[in-house]
Amino acid sequence: MTTETHHETPSPHEPIELVLARLLRIGSIIAAILLALGIGAMLLGGHAVVGPRLITAGLLALLATPIMRVMVAGVIFAREKDWRFAFFCLVVLCSIVAGILLGHEHGG
Amino acid sequence: MAIGAGIVGSVLGLGGGIIIVPALTILFGVSMRTAVAASTVSIIATSTGAAVAFLRDRLTNTRVAMWLEMGTSAGALSGALIAGYLHQRFLYIMFGLLLAYSGYNMFRTRKAELPGEVVPDRLSRKLNLAGSYYDRMLGRRVEYQVTRTLPGLVLMYFSGAAAGLLGIGAGIFKVPAMDQVMRMPFKASTATSNFMIGVTAASGAVVYFARGDVKPLVAGPVVLGVLLGAVVGARLMVRLKTSTIRKLFIPLIVYTAIEMIYRGVKG
Repeated sequence: MTTETHHETPSPHEPIELVLARLLRIGSIIAAILLALGIGAMLLGGHAVVGPRLITAGLLALLATPIMRVMVAGVIFAREKDWRFAFFCLVVLCSIVAGILLGHEHGG
Repeated sequence: MAIGAGIVGSVLGLGGGIIIVPALTILFGVSMRTAVAASTVSIIATSTGAAVAFLRDRLTNTRVAMWLEMGTSAGALSGALIAGYLHQRFLYIMFGLLLAYSGYNMFRTRKAELPGEVVPDRLSRKLNLAGSYYDRMLGRRVEYQVTRTLPGLVLMYFSGAAAGLLGIGAGIFKVPAMDQVMRMPFKASTATSNFMIGVTAASGAVVYFARGDVKPLVAGPVVLGVLLGAVVGARLMVRLKTSTIRKLFIPLIVYTAIEMIYRGVKG
């Protein structure tokens, strides 16, 4: 396989794509393990509470991953002194937070 | 079913909600609210699972994604705010027509593997949006420029609003906006769309969680399946020809356009 042969010239920091890829991979692996354990616990019976709780934890881990992704991207841009893009990340984060607050109000 | 939705979703840069919602409601008799909530969480699963491979292959343009996410997240926010005041029927017809038009454009350019010569606009140069990736199918590195940066952002605002108003992933709007308007290569467009939909869906999913619409028994198995499908789909996509992906995308865009206009007319 020629997967690793076509990367760009190395920059002072690790490229943002690889950092974000690692973050998303960790998030999805944690979510997948929790989901699989939860579904397994439900199939085996036993405690009626444990399975759904594990699944919910897995779903929440998955939900947090893209939000973490925006935060980490913002930190990377700021570290590289790319203030414009760090600001873009902040705008995105603010509207997510505003959406969450509004959603709670409406959802009640 | 869920694995299939993940594969299709990741290859086309969509969430796969188009498959999951009808499958859950029609085949499994799940209520609409529960189905939409499960579908929204599975959009995050598609995005996250597939993005890992696309980021490693450098197909995703992270700078374009961050720029455009300002539009989608602001759009999703205002969509949620005005949802109660607008006529759903009118919205369905409007978005349906918009989709039909981009479907027609995509059909005209269906044979193009790459966008050809693109002159970047000033903003694109200023924000350094140009990108490059290694296309395994073509066996060479593809360098590309991005143009119509501001119209792209405005379109993303409306696609975000569509997501908020109609409860859809709206990847089907994002791909044509990048491919047709901003003239990005199709593969970079679907990968970048895929990367972005996770953020739009996450802000929607929080609301469903708060309302208690996310039922672990329904969402758990679906999401796990989608996650596995997305990982497989992303590996498949980098090996496909652009024209093949387009052939899958065009019927889906036409179907969605017809479905939306029908819903709007029927009321």
